[in-house]
Amino acid sequence: MSRPLLELDKINSFYGPVQVHFDLSLHVNAGEIVCLLGGNASGKSTTMKTILGLMRPRSGTVTFDGQVISGLETPRIIRAGIGSVPEARRLFGAMTVRENLLMGAFIRNDAAGIRDDLARVLGLFPRLHERLGQRAGTLSGGEQQMVAMARALMGRPRLICMDEPTMGLSPRFVDVVLELIATINREGVSVFMVEQNASLALQIAHRGYVLQTGRIALSGPAATLARDPRIRDAYLGGEVAA
Amino acid sequence: MNWGTWLDYTVNGLVIGNIYALLAVGLALIFGVANLINFAHGSIYTVGAYVGWVCITHLHLPLLLTVPLVLLASAVLGVAIERLALRPLHNASRIAPLLATIGISLVLDQVTQLVFTPNPRALPSPLPDWRFQIGGGSIGTLDVLILAVGLGTAGVLYAFLRFTKLGWAVRATAQDMDAAKQMGVDTNRVNMSVFAIASALGGLSGMLVGMYYNNIDPGMSFDATLKGVVAQIIGGMGNVPGAIAGSLLLGLIESYGIALFGTSYRNLFAFVLLILILIVRPNGLFSSAKETPPEPMTGSFVARGKPLAIPRPVLVAVAVLAVFVPFVDSDYVVQTATNALLYGLLALSLTLVAGTVGMVSLGHAGLLAIGAYASSLMAIELGLPVTLSIALAGVVTAVIGTLLVFPAFRMRGHYVSIATLAIGQIVALVILNWNSLTRGPIGISGIPPLSFAGIPLYDAPQAYWFVLVVVVALALLQARVLSSHLGRTWRALRDDDVAARAHGIATDRYKAMAFAFGGFGAGVGGAVTAHLYSYINHETFNAQISVLALTIAILGGLGNITGALLGSVLLVGLPEVFRGLAEYRMLIYGVVLLLLIRVRPQGLLGTA
Ligand SMILES: Nc1ncnc2c1ncn2[C@@H]1O[C@H](COP(=O)(O)OP(=O)(O)OP(=O)(O)O)[C@@H](O)[C@H]1O
Ligand SMILES: [Mg+2]
Repeated sequence: MSRPLLELDKINSFYGPVQVHFDLSLHVNAGEIVCLLGGNASGKSTTMKTILGLMRPRSGTVTFDGQVISGLETPRIIRAGIGSVPEARRLFGAMTVRENLLMGAFIRNDAAGIRDDLARVLGLFPRLHERLGQRAGTLSGGEQQMVAMARALMGRPRLICMDEPTMGLSPRFVDVVLELIATINREGVSVFMVEQNASLALQIAHRGYVLQTGRIALSGPAATLARDPRIRDAYLGGEVAA
Repeated sequence: MNWGTWLDYTVNGLVIGNIYALLAVGLALIFGVANLINFAHGSIYTVGAYVGWVCITHLHLPLLLTVPLVLLASAVLGVAIERLALRPLHNASRIAPLLATIGISLVLDQVTQLVFTPNPRALPSPLPDWRFQIGGGSIGTLDVLILAVGLGTAGVLYAFLRFTKLGWAVRATAQDMDAAKQMGVDTNRVNMSVFAIASALGGLSGMLVGMYYNNIDPGMSFDATLKGVVAQIIGGMGNVPGAIAGSLLLGLIESYGIALFGTSYRNLFAFVLLILILIVRPNGLFSSAKETPPEPMTGSFVARGKPLAIPRPVLVAVAVLAVFVPFVDSDYVVQTATNALLYGLLALSLTLVAGTVGMVSLGHAGLLAIGAYASSLMAIELGLPVTLSIALAGVVTAVIGTLLVFPAFRMRGHYVSIATLAIGQIVALVILNWNSLTRGPIGISGIPPLSFAGIPLYDAPQAYWFVLVVVVALALLQARVLSSHLGRTWRALRDDDVAARAHGIATDRYKAMAFAFGGFGAGVGGAVTAHLYSYINHETFNAQISVLALTIAILGGLGNITGALLGSVLLVGLPEVFRGLAEYRMLIYGVVLLLLIRVRPQGLLGTA
């Protein structure tokens, strides 16, 4: 089997004296959707920050496409081909939807390609079409989530990292967003997503990991995990019997 | 006044407004991306003015060459400041960069003064001196140039932010730095570019102002920073178009104010307007939200560190030794020691307010002024015994000071510092303008000397002992209070005032108590100073003293009583001991401040 697209190897990370990750290792193969499950404060967002270079692990390495990216500055990591849909979306609220999408293409210089991608992305998210001139801060939560995903796509990443893309959305919108993630993936983008909503995430994911206080407690193919009774306890915050 | 005169005042207001706009726009850009009020901005403006002066009067360069050189030199300076002094502070507490810019401004101003001497210089406008008559008023070539530069800059800036990639990066970084990074924006480069642009405009502003008044001097920095900050707050912090509108408004208000009331009122309008805006519309005139923009908890605004425990016998021994200082038999040494102790009183007060309660005041010298005037006037006009007038002055200062700062009690972080700075300036300006009470610019002379039980204390050792007793008594009292329930409540406010309020603590009342306590000490300090000097005026207790007091409090460790006294002795005493250094005083203060922030942000003895 070829090397994984993204690989975290024995990551130990800290906030001051507090250790968040304990020898955390996981990987994402090209073409996969991998979800990271886990209860509150288990260290999911910290995993994202570590991949994106917003935080440095004390030890361990993050490798993307054969290149060690832990230690690089965030902009360099983005340029290497990773897109980000941050926790709570983090749109540029005072900028229009269009400007937000174009910010997503900040690392690119091919004007024609950007224009084509804008059209392509709007094809995926038709709702955004009529909102292009609206300030992003005034959109509904679901629409904002779409902008965040579309924005990440505009950079033509090979891997998109999403932190709780369904957070705060109505059940109907959750389905829409998950379907969109599957669509994005079918177009060839690998996805690494953090979710609390395990049963839904596992419907579209290929594989999953369950994080518990900074350690991988369970992992495996999505279908297997979905049937595992221990999963339910885990993301509700209970102990996973190892 | 006729129409022509009004027109002249309007042109003048717009010209000044454009000059403020060049400053304020830069401050807004910097606040946007770096979340920082750049107190060194006025110093760059001064450097710009001097670069212009060298180019025009010494090198005889045409304006078309001078302007690019001024822009370039100022931009390089701005980039150097960002790169060398501010970027290393990225992970420091929120107040660190703000204090660093204060340190930088002290250093730059003193260097400018050393290079170019403190004397004012003429900076003649190289433009032909034509005046165009319109509707009874007139407008000169320089007016036209400044208006054109202002308009042109606004246009270029708009195009930059709207249509260039770097401009987009600036806007995105200002809204959410982490999100911008995740779009691949190199935010360090954005920061540096913003400092370059802001500084270039600031320098240009300084040169234009120099030409407008045909006068520049190294002392013009502070006022420029303040005006820029005021204009920016009127328009809303970090809001670039708001900064331009705020500047024009400020320029017009000042100009009409001068027309109606006279020049000495000019700054009073600016600062009263600032306070009003901070209270009524903290987001600026042009923004709808009423809430103050989020600022960090005061606790995280200040650097923290464990206090060093100094054994009680050591403290007692030092106090006893201090009694014997006058036996060195040198009036100079004794006077210096007295001076250090007086600064100690001020620092004790500030370390309480800024360190224990977490409200970093930049206008503390205003309290000295209130105490000084109160005691002098009571002694002279009412004939009160000096000891009594000093004590009463403390009470008066406690009351007035608390009332003045009251509007700032709900503010946080930066806003407290700006509000207190403005309040300090307002005190000085009221003193300047309230002729009937304060004798205005003439000041008060013939203030009776310190006395005890009716016996005047004429010689230096007696005055020293008097001050020593006051300092020791107030320091002990403060230590006592800090270890009581009240002290714990104060620290709770500092660490999280929202939580404190949620727990039913009347935060305003506790902050008032802190300011009353601190105001009393500072008022007594000012009063004693007045009786020692025998002459005071509205400039005796200026903003430099406020900055020095803050440096002392930080040097000792914010909140730390022993630290405040140690800091005073070190910062006020040492430059005097090495007499040659006195000339480089502000430079030393600036460097000390910069080093401290970098190396030991918790101060020598640690925060308490
Ligand atoms: N900036 C920070 N400073 C200090 N501690 C932090 C910081 N961010 C997170 N933590 C702590 O690290 C631990 C892991 O946080 P993280 O945000 O990674 O959890 P999470 O799994 O994403 O939780 P949630 O499901 O609530 O988003 C938590 O205990 C949290 O309190
Ligand atoms: Mg999280």
